[in-house]
Amino acid sequence: MSIHNSLGTGAASRPGARFSNPRIRALIRKEVWHILRDWQTLLIVLAMPVFMMFLYGYALDVNINDVEVMVEDPSPTPETAQLIRAIDHSSLFKVKGVVNSVGNPDDLFKKSHVKALFRLSPSFTRDLLRPGSPASIQVLIDGSDQNLGTVLRNVTEPFLQKTVLSLVNTAVPVTIDVRQTILYNPQQKSALYFVPGLMVIILMMISALLTSLTITREKEQGSLEQMLVSPIRPAEILIGKIAPYVVLAAIDGALILLVGYFVFGVSISGSLTLLSVASLVYIFAALSLGLLISTISKKQEHAMLIVLPATVLPTVLLSGFIFPIASLPVWLQLLSMAIPATYFLEIIRGIILKGVGLAELWRPMLVLGCMGLFLLAVSVRKFRVKA
Amino acid sequence: MNFIRLIVWKEFTQIRSDPLIIRLIIFPVVLQMFVLGYALTTEVKNTTITFLDRSDTPESVSLVQAIKRNPLFAFAGCAESESDCRRRLDRGDARLALIIPATFARDLSGPQGANVSLIIDGQDANSSNIASGYVNAIITGWSVSYLQKKLESRGLRLRNVLPVEARPVILYNPMLKSTWYMVPALAVVLVTMITALLTGFSIVKEKEAGTLEQLMVTPLSPVHVVLGKIIPYVVIGLFELSAVLAAATLWFGVPFKGNFLTVLLFGLIYMTSSIGIGILVSTIARNAQQVLFMLWFILIFFLFLSGFFLALENMPAWVQKLTYINPLRYFMFILREMFLKGSGFAELWPQGLAMLAIGGVVFGASLLTFQRKVG
Repeated sequence: MSIHNSLGTGAASRPGARFSNPRIRALIRKEVWHILRDWQTLLIVLAMPVFMMFLYGYALDVNINDVEVMVEDPSPTPETAQLIRAIDHSSLFKVKGVVNSVGNPDDLFKKSHVKALFRLSPSFTRDLLRPGSPASIQVLIDGSDQNLGTVLRNVTEPFLQKTVLSLVNTAVPVTIDVRQTILYNPQQKSALYFVPGLMVIILMMISALLTSLTITREKEQGSLEQMLVSPIRPAEILIGKIAPYVVLAAIDGALILLVGYFVFGVSISGSLTLLSVASLVYIFAALSLGLLISTISKKQEHAMLIVLPATVLPTVLLSGFIFPIASLPVWLQLLSMAIPATYFLEIIRGIILKGVGLAELWRPMLVLGCMGLFLLAVSVRKFRVKA
Repeated sequence: MNFIRLIVWKEFTQIRSDPLIIRLIIFPVVLQMFVLGYALTTEVKNTTITFLDRSDTPESVSLVQAIKRNPLFAFAGCAESESDCRRRLDRGDARLALIIPATFARDLSGPQGANVSLIIDGQDANSSNIASGYVNAIITGWSVSYLQKKLESRGLRLRNVLPVEARPVILYNPMLKSTWYMVPALAVVLVTMITALLTGFSIVKEKEAGTLEQLMVTPLSPVHVVLGKIIPYVVIGLFELSAVLAAATLWFGVPFKGNFLTVLLFGLIYMTSSIGIGILVSTIARNAQQVLFMLWFILIFFLFLSGFFLALENMPAWVQKLTYINPLRYFMFILREMFLKGSGFAELWPQGLAMLAIGGVVFGASLLTFQRKVG
């Protein structure tokens, strides 16, 4: 490399000289070619976020309705028929069948896959019309899916009370009425929930995985050593190799926000500038993590092996995207505090959903920035020692 | 058959001599098993809640105490005003705020009843739904016991006033533990990852090194080569499946009511799909990185549509139809049913048959592409 910057001839080969822009530019050009040549990977990198958004957009619905149930009605009367109709018409349940008697409920749950069985007592109508003794319904719930099981356990009793009371024309004795206000996502649109989460995951994946792979690839092929013995400084190599991936990650981030806006109607209630700055800080932290991984691994397979459990897994599971952090056991909560994704998710949800600014978000921003600096310092140090 | 035995032997020797592969078999599985086993909880606990008690009467204090005492909530201090409530939610210090109006105690005995307002942080729709459901349940419970006390003072019993009584009984997972539901499904994810990745890597690495062409010029037919290459991974896959099942029952305490041999048989049927995908991807990909990316892409797609953490029943009809071609869906269903309900062949044969059909198609297609591209 014979082109030098304004410092003049010889400056580049002198240790401690300033960075040379043309050299970095040449390295960047080389890296961009690498990326473009492997178009299969590039395609996946660009298609993955869009694909995941559509999956989330169509597959994610947290509202539980039309749960299939069976009713056992040993002595059918107009009253029980009316009750069964009321159950079927509710938004929560769908009556799959009414039988006279269920021999063994176990067989029913194994074969017909209903989620609950309502068993009316043989004297149901008699008890209902006679004051002083409540008519009884036993509700068997398939608890295997604890999420659904919990909901069913909590709602069936009040639901049946209310339904039967209205059947016998009695008003429900109300004592407390809870008026709910849902903030930040009042319509509970799932897009508002998954767009920030996907940003966190995809940016981490692109930045950490791709950087660690590209550097270990050069290591494997021996071309990294060739570069290191050339007048290019180690820091310049790092900048040259990393810069294209910053751009790639930023493109992916923008892609997610654009698809979110145009397809799923997610608008950003806070400042877009702050969001971009925060994203860059996060990309910077993730790249540094990728860099660190590449300094410890000798082969691409090693890097992949470390990257998956070290970055993607905790980002998906421990950032609070899918599972609320407060519900995790304490040791996993501590772990979640050590990963950049947790802080970025807090920031990005704050900006997109809550519309809050730096006044509320300076804490996670500061932590994220410090994490990035720390990771970069450690990896540059390791890179220098190796070089 | 002799040829196949030789390839199997070669493959096992290669695996044994590669410490990385052995680590790939053991380390990520153990790590994921434990992290996922604990993290995959759809339970909502320790939800932070703040109160604004404008009433400040024995009744309101007792209601606040009822929520505070509940282990599902973490008390995040009392708010001073409505704007303070909002500020606490904005900062993320609390996820719920309960506001009790000044007229609470008086309205409670009035004809209209009292009302309280609950402000919910709706960022995570799922967990906020569950948490607000808990608050509602506690308030209902508190108001029922309040009503009971009032009726008792008049010599009445609540049980005699209500015309109906519902008794919920929870089967199969009486404590409603999410690990009981998630860990068996996790076995499917881990087995898929290991078998598809290892098969894919093993073929693409020979491709990269050029040794696959050497194998092809030997008298071995491509089918022999593929069969010889996958048998070791089938064995590893079955071993992995047993290990995860053992960890599920011994460590996580999930009851296993089914038959172990039936699980292995279903596992074998399932692996025709997962290994078939591995072969298919490795014949298309040029290097290990592409194998990883493509498999990842496919796995994410299948995971979403398997009922692993998103219930299939809630998806739109056309998405539900799409899930019928997903082998993960069937194996996950089979393992969950076998674990918790103790179902066997009698109940699960339709799922087994569907898996067999998908596996046959995928595996057949992978053999054909391999033969065409490589052989």
